[in-house]
Amino acid sequence: MDYYVAVLSIMGVHILLGLSVYLVAITGQLSFGQQGFYAIGAYVAGVCTALWGTHLVPALLLGMTAAGLIGFLVGFPTLRVKGLYLGIATFGFGEIVRLAFLNIKYTKMVGGKLVGPNGAEGFRHVSYIYDRGFTQVQYLAVIYAAVIVVAGLVHLLERSKLGAKFRAVEEDEMAAAMAGINVTAVKVMAFTSGGFVAGLGGALFVHYSTYVDHDMVALPLAVASVTYPMLGGLGSFWGPILGAAFLIFLTEGLRFLQEFRLVIYGALIILTMIFRPRGIIDEAVMMRIRSLVRRKGAPSPAA
Amino acid sequence: MAETLLDIIQQSINGLMYGAFYALIGIGFTLFFGVMKKFNLAYGPTIMAGIYLGLIPLYRWKAPMWVVFVTCVAGAVVVGFIVELACFRYLRKGHELAPLMTTVGMLILIQETVVIVTHAAPYEYPNIFGDESLEVGPFLIRPDYLAILISGLVFVVLLYLLVQRTAFGRAMRAIAENPAVAQLLGVSVSRMNRLTFALTSALGGATGYLVAMTFGALQPGIASWMTIKGLVVIVIGGLGSIPGAICAGLLLGVVEFQALWFLGVGYRDILAYLLLFAFLVLRPSGLMGRPAT
Repeated sequence: MDYYVAVLSIMGVHILLGLSVYLVAITGQLSFGQQGFYAIGAYVAGVCTALWGTHLVPALLLGMTAAGLIGFLVGFPTLRVKGLYLGIATFGFGEIVRLAFLNIKYTKMVGGKLVGPNGAEGFRHVSYIYDRGFTQVQYLAVIYAAVIVVAGLVHLLERSKLGAKFRAVEEDEMAAAMAGINVTAVKVMAFTSGGFVAGLGGALFVHYSTYVDHDMVALPLAVASVTYPMLGGLGSFWGPILGAAFLIFLTEGLRFLQEFRLVIYGALIILTMIFRPRGIIDEAVMMRIRSLVRRKGAPSPAA
Repeated sequence: MAETLLDIIQQSINGLMYGAFYALIGIGFTLFFGVMKKFNLAYGPTIMAGIYLGLIPLYRWKAPMWVVFVTCVAGAVVVGFIVELACFRYLRKGHELAPLMTTVGMLILIQETVVIVTHAAPYEYPNIFGDESLEVGPFLIRPDYLAILISGLVFVVLLYLLVQRTAFGRAMRAIAENPAVAQLLGVSVSRMNRLTFALTSALGGATGYLVAMTFGALQPGIASWMTIKGLVVIVIGGLGSIPGAICAGLLLGVVEFQALWFLGVGYRDILAYLLLFAFLVLRPSGLMGRPAT
């Protein structure tokens, strides 16, 4: 039981990562740097509860906001480049964050333990939820509350005029600009919101695992978070959710596959790109679902 | 003061020699980009797989080092073909980011396969140049670094002749200039793609062999390390420009060695990424590239 609670907790955090990549991806930008925002969220929120003794909620908000602000600041220079260059630039950003945390030392003695980001040692003893007597199941509820709120907001965004602008920028930047859409603003907005969501994921993660280090936010996490929307599909926010749920369940749920986790990710990415370059739930699938629903005269799906 | 100056010069010498390796990786990426107009992020793993395959004759039959070298090159070419087949040949047109994703997938796939097969244990790679440094005046020169620089020069001259003086090179330049017109004039683009894969993989295998020797020990992590360095070099040098890749590789080598000496190992890679970021933002076309379209 505990084991499945653990798998579901990790799944929730990774759904947030997948959604953060998705938010950027629906403007046609591929980011390999969301793990950088995730790391910022994790470290900032961890410092709040473990070193400053704040409550969990402001810590999560602060971690998320810090990541979002950095996303905003990085967004401007980074979005001057696109496509392949953007992939490299965002990955470079993620690596700069990772290497910064490899060097940052900010520790205090709290309750007889050395707590805080400690360079290569990582950041240990973020034990807020366990000190306050939360059970794993209760914290799982916290994680999924966050997932539902974020997924709901992404859903609203997609149905809004702003969402249509996001898609227009993806489809054809030039045409979008001609139609009066401020392309830079849209892209920076996507990048910022992606930063917020990834930061929230990191903040939730560090309190669950009590520990984070620079190795956890390296290339494999970048690849995993990009895989979720790519495999699940770019047609709807269900894509990254489905992708993350499927891949985490496949590799965590079936223990013997654990060793081959990354090999499976790699192979699945290649196969998906060859057979379904827009993922499983792509625009065509969404269109079919919508027309099916409409033909039956039912109201539009809650999803 | 004089000692600091000597240190700077010493580290610049090391950086230039080591940078020759970065330049070679960058040339591989750039040749590839010139012909295919795509990045091959699986280039690092291709090289890594080649030099790991080179270990087989060494450990199993105690083969002489030239056999190891040939196996490295041949192994990299074979893996290069697999990469081409899996990541490029069957992709549909019109999805610009698809090859980026497939080669990232391949990067992870190859790297993790090697991790599983070798249990991530480092393998010793014998250094045929020994570890006695040559003394030149007040400076020390590592013979294996010098070997990288010299072989780098040889490779560059050979490549220059190949690209400028042969029918293959002419076809390559034609495709880099305009693939559609090149095809109209009778150049088989798909054949050139495969030949380019073979050429860059062979170059990578030869480079990787030298690098493995200077490292002394082989770990799967060098796959993504080489891909990242290659990307940094071509962004700084400018896409598709061989002279750009050479300059950028040497520059990166010098910057890294100065950072290593004066700031410490924790800041070496940060500085390299900041350099990358600065170029992306301020000069996206790189040192010698054409303006990005």
